[in-house]
Amino acid sequence: MDLMDSLAISAAGMRVQGERLRVISENIANADSVSEAPGGDPYRRKTITFRNELDRQAGLDLVKVQKVGLDPSEFTRKYDPNNPAADNSGYVKLPNVNALIEMSDMREAQRSYEANLKVIEVARGMLQRTIDILR
Amino acid sequence: MDLFKIPLLQRLTERMDWLGAREKVLAQNIANSDTPGYQPKDVVPLDFEDHLQKLAPVEPQRTNPLHMVGTIPPKDPIDSKKQKKPYETAPAGNSVVLEEQMMKMSQTQADYNEMVNLYRKHIDMLKTAIGRGV
Repeated sequence: MDLMDSLAISAAGMRVQGERLRVISENIANADSVSEAPGGDPYRRKTITFRNELDRQAGLDLVKVQKVGLDPSEFTRKYDPNNPAADNSGYVKLPNVNALIEMSDMREAQRSYEANLKVIEVARGMLQRTIDILR
Repeated sequence: MDLFKIPLLQRLTERMDWLGAREKVLAQNIANSDTPGYQPKDVVPLDFEDHLQKLAPVEPQRTNPLHMVGTIPPKDPIDSKKQKKPYETAPAGNSVVLEEQMMKMSQTQADYNEMVNLYRKHIDMLKTAIGRGV
């Protein structure tokens, strides 16, 4: 039934946005995670992409997480000779996490989540009205 | 008495099916509002020609029990197509505009409610005719 399918589709949409939020929180939590070894690479920012894929069990196209990848952009370097992660010349590599980007990404995830939630409300309302014909 | 022999009720049910299918397509668009390269879809407007095609769908028949059943789910009787002119396209190739989809969704909901109300009215009229009152 189409309205039930809508509920499943939106639920999948909400699930991937939740997954996205998990990745974002991981990035933010690790915004200052430097390497354990001197001169090593710090935490690398993670990215997430989605795709629309046929779910054979549900017989529907549901949105899924395609891949949690790594952001290949450059690390910033900071002169801090006292840091245990500093290399021979006294520079520390800092994670390529930009708090502003993570924040706007988070807002977008929230907005998409709310949109999916709204779809569920509408589909449920339509189902309810159909059931009310019985009264 | 078969209620579906009443043309009005039959039409209303069809329209409700169509609106339900549209709601599903819109839900899909909204769920994919962040999927790279996704193009939003919308259902084909309800008209007579589509209705005729819907009556006789062409499907492969299993004439031998050894034939494998297709794993691809049967096509939806109500067709949906990619939107020709999207409002805007994001750098990742996604053209879903949440506001546009939301607008369509509330339109669908309003139409659906209208159909349900008409349906109920008609049933009430039938009840009046039977003489049991509303």
